[in-house]
Amino acid sequence: MQMIPDRLPPAGERGAIAWLRRNLFSGTVNAIVSIALGSFVALSLFNLGRWMLTGASWQPVWNNMKLLAIYRYPAELAWRPIIAVGVLLMLTGLTAALGQRVGKGKIMTGVYFWFGSLAWFLTLVALIAWPSVRVAWLLATLMSVAGYAIGWYVPRVVRAQSWLWAAGLPIVLVLIYGVGGSGSFAVVGTSQWGGFLLTVVIAAFGITVSFPLGIALALGRRSNLPAIKYFSIGFIEVIRGAPLITWLFIASLMVPLLLDVAPDSIPALTRALVAVTLFSAAYMAENVRGGLQSVPNGQREAARALGLSGWQTTRLIVLPQALRAVIPVLVGQAIGLFKDTSLVFIVGLHDFFEIGRRVIPSQPESLLYPGGVLLEISVFMAFAYFFFTYRMSIASRQLEKELGVGER
Amino acid sequence: MAMTTDVPERIPFWRNVKTLGLLAQIIFAIIVVAAIAILWNNVTSALARSSLPADFSWLGSRAGIPIGERPIPYTPDDTYFRALAIGFLNTLKIALVGVVLASILGVGVGVARLSNNFLLRQIATWYVEILRNTPLAVQIIFWFTAAIATLPPTISAPIRLPGGLMFSNRGLAFPAIYPGFGFRDWLPWIVAAIALYAIVLYVRRRQIIASERPGLAWPAALLAFLAVSGTGYFVASGTATIPEPLTVDFTVERGRGVTFLDANGNGERERDEALYGFVPVTVRVSEAAIETQSTNLNEQRRIKPSVLRFPVLEEGEYESFDVRILGSADAERFSVHWTDAPTAGLIFEDRNGDGIYQEGEEVDADGVGFSGVRTLLTITGFSRDLVSDRDGGIRIPNFEPVGTQEEETEEIQDAGRSGVAGFGPSSLFGSPAGASSDEEEAVLDTTVEIRSSGALVWSRPSVPVSNYEGGFRFTASYLALLLALVIYTATFIAEITRAGIMAVPKGQTEASKALGLSGRQTFSLVIFPQAVRIILPPMISQYLNLTKNSSLAPLAAYAEIFAVSAIVANQTGASVPVTVLIIVSYLVISWFFSFVLNIVNARLAIVER
Repeated sequence: MQMIPDRLPPAGERGAIAWLRRNLFSGTVNAIVSIALGSFVALSLFNLGRWMLTGASWQPVWNNMKLLAIYRYPAELAWRPIIAVGVLLMLTGLTAALGQRVGKGKIMTGVYFWFGSLAWFLTLVALIAWPSVRVAWLLATLMSVAGYAIGWYVPRVVRAQSWLWAAGLPIVLVLIYGVGGSGSFAVVGTSQWGGFLLTVVIAAFGITVSFPLGIALALGRRSNLPAIKYFSIGFIEVIRGAPLITWLFIASLMVPLLLDVAPDSIPALTRALVAVTLFSAAYMAENVRGGLQSVPNGQREAARALGLSGWQTTRLIVLPQALRAVIPVLVGQAIGLFKDTSLVFIVGLHDFFEIGRRVIPSQPESLLYPGGVLLEISVFMAFAYFFFTYRMSIASRQLEKELGVGER
Repeated sequence: MAMTTDVPERIPFWRNVKTLGLLAQIIFAIIVVAAIAILWNNVTSALARSSLPADFSWLGSRAGIPIGERPIPYTPDDTYFRALAIGFLNTLKIALVGVVLASILGVGVGVARLSNNFLLRQIATWYVEILRNTPLAVQIIFWFTAAIATLPPTISAPIRLPGGLMFSNRGLAFPAIYPGFGFRDWLPWIVAAIALYAIVLYVRRRQIIASERPGLAWPAALLAFLAVSGTGYFVASGTATIPEPLTVDFTVERGRGVTFLDANGNGERERDEALYGFVPVTVRVSEAAIETQSTNLNEQRRIKPSVLRFPVLEEGEYESFDVRILGSADAERFSVHWTDAPTAGLIFEDRNGDGIYQEGEEVDADGVGFSGVRTLLTITGFSRDLVSDRDGGIRIPNFEPVGTQEEETEEIQDAGRSGVAGFGPSSLFGSPAGASSDEEEAVLDTTVEIRSSGALVWSRPSVPVSNYEGGFRFTASYLALLLALVIYTATFIAEITRAGIMAVPKGQTEASKALGLSGRQTFSLVIFPQAVRIILPPMISQYLNLTKNSSLAPLAAYAEIFAVSAIVANQTGASVPVTVLIIVSYLVISWFFSFVLNIVNARLAIVER
């Protein structure tokens, strides 16, 4: 028997034309839909582009970049948050490069290059237009590149990696808050924080602190001890019952009463953090509970059979598997929390959203624009939030694939 | 055997899991109770010091909160309780509509994400990606302050869409059907028609089963239903008894009057005095009202000629329409000139006595000779029509220049009330309540919406003065919040739908293709019904999310429960009670949704087996 050699498909079945026919013009209805949608998209994109380039007045956004980024943080100390960004990028780059060397770390690399490119772009802008932060941005860029380079060329640091992260985060906090005195490291009180800095601080704090709280609540909910179980259920269900904005409002009303102090003595940031963290913990608990339920009972029984204590079983056998299963969900929750920080205006904080919504439109210069400046500002804010959350949601999907959670 | 004897009979209590558990619980309970006690003590002492209200007694006092969006009658004079109830109803109002629209949009986009068409798929994907990853708060201010607020104002140039729709910065107005005069007479017919529908359906089903041939039962039943209800409609519309003019009177609300049966004749509406929307009325403008007005003119507060705008009537809808200016000797000199008959009139001084308006005869800035003129506006011959607005109140002539200052409005309102006593029964007194004071225009505005006595009334929106009248209206706040909620929630519903459809095994598609079903049949008969089972539970939790997200309403100035509660908390200082109220309201809503979810889950579980 003679084998017929492989041949390419006929010319009409490959290349761009075949693709077009398959995907856009496979039938009369499809062709009509394609043409209608195509012209709609083209027209919309054309109009959007024209508005962005010629119609919109981006001047208010551009002029208020400092407000949007750090609000009332002293301008002469603006280098500190920028260096903090550099530290974070350095650590991310380090982890990404270390992962790359052993053929993993695709997700971290993606995150590193996404946010790194933003920093490098801002450095470029600073070099051209922002003389006051030029050096700081340049340093941040150098740090981010250095982190990646160290990870790539000195693979031995892999052992120090977690220690470096553990040291890096306090450094970031110290950089932002300051140490004392009145020089370069003067303390910048939280009342002066604002803008994107505040948004990131609230989101990061909320996620980090609510993580252990959420795990504790989830374990408490599955506990055999009725007192702990019903307390956890009650807490989770009541908190989840009402939306975040009401908890923020309640926090601003109730925290001074609950602690019996003058309303002004509790910083707005504290109230916001209390509300955001407790709220996030309740949701975290439900997500973790989902993970706990996904661990087969056999695992528990096997661990007990091996002589592990109840606490050891939970800590060494159940939790690692449970958390691994819910990592993508937790990333999703982090995204949600990042978006929800836009509600802290209720307690009187000036986060990124509040500055765009209230501070900039009420400036005298902004009032000169006919029709206001909110259209441009809301488009800009939407883009800024999207830039961050979109990358995180890509990472969540990659994680899902890597962990095989999505496929069962 | 030897091994078991080694084990001690009793476990020491400090290693007994049960004892330890009990101990842990006791310690935990003590900590919780202690914490609560400390916090409670703090709260009570703080409340005692600050003398803020800690109970709910303030619920019965006057709220004084103006709310633009009110599903039930409400004035700022009403109580806090009523204001909060309005807030709760508004939450439901936006949640119900939002849930329906978000489901439609979300399922559509979810299906589009799996389309064969590349463009459609990409558009759906990017719609989901972009809008899901942008905070809802940003989307709300985009729609509210950036998109809808920049539309043309209602007063000058609303966008008129086909079908009688109007779109402007005040929101969207569209034609709607309201129960009319004869509706009450029609109701028994409808009940009868429904009963007949059920009977015919049952009988036909029995017949079809007995005949052992395929057939549909519902067409005959529907026919019977339509026949009875249709007949009823015409009978009710034709024979509806129109009540004699009642002794009606006004309570004054900003911009509109409320008709009620003045049972005890004191000229003020008590709680138990029924509101009447449907009465034939004669509208007269009381002397007092006009005098107040002319006082204003004499004080030279108004510079423009006084323009009267009269009811929105269409040709042939009325039999006679009569405006006379009565009273002092001067009054003979004044007439009404229709600038845009019969919707807008202008009082002019007929200087040459020919009874026709000439240019320059407007009542001038000083309002010379205008003092003390009584104007009588009579709408007669409405044997089949009634004068009423959408809220069941009567729009009476607002002989008040729109845009007067607040204290003037108060004066005029008082004058309107005092004028009530001067006229006999069966008359309505013009009460010059201010129209919305944000419109700066020196017009004397009078709007009366005329309704027919039919069982149902087709009401079209119009802009008689400065805001919409008639039809059904979505305010700008409502519209912006609804758009943002629907568009945002739909992205999540789209993802749920997509995942649900993908979760149906591929073999199902192949099997149905093998059976010869078309693509559409495969989807609608095989895939989607199975996907619905997977989709529904997470969808319901998205409905709950939408409802909870409606608490972002303050960003769009929409008065739902959270927005009202926040205002109430600021006004009364009742932090603790308001906190309790907010939490309870949302817990009730959450429990409702989990109740629905449990029912759905139970039903799906039965289907599965």
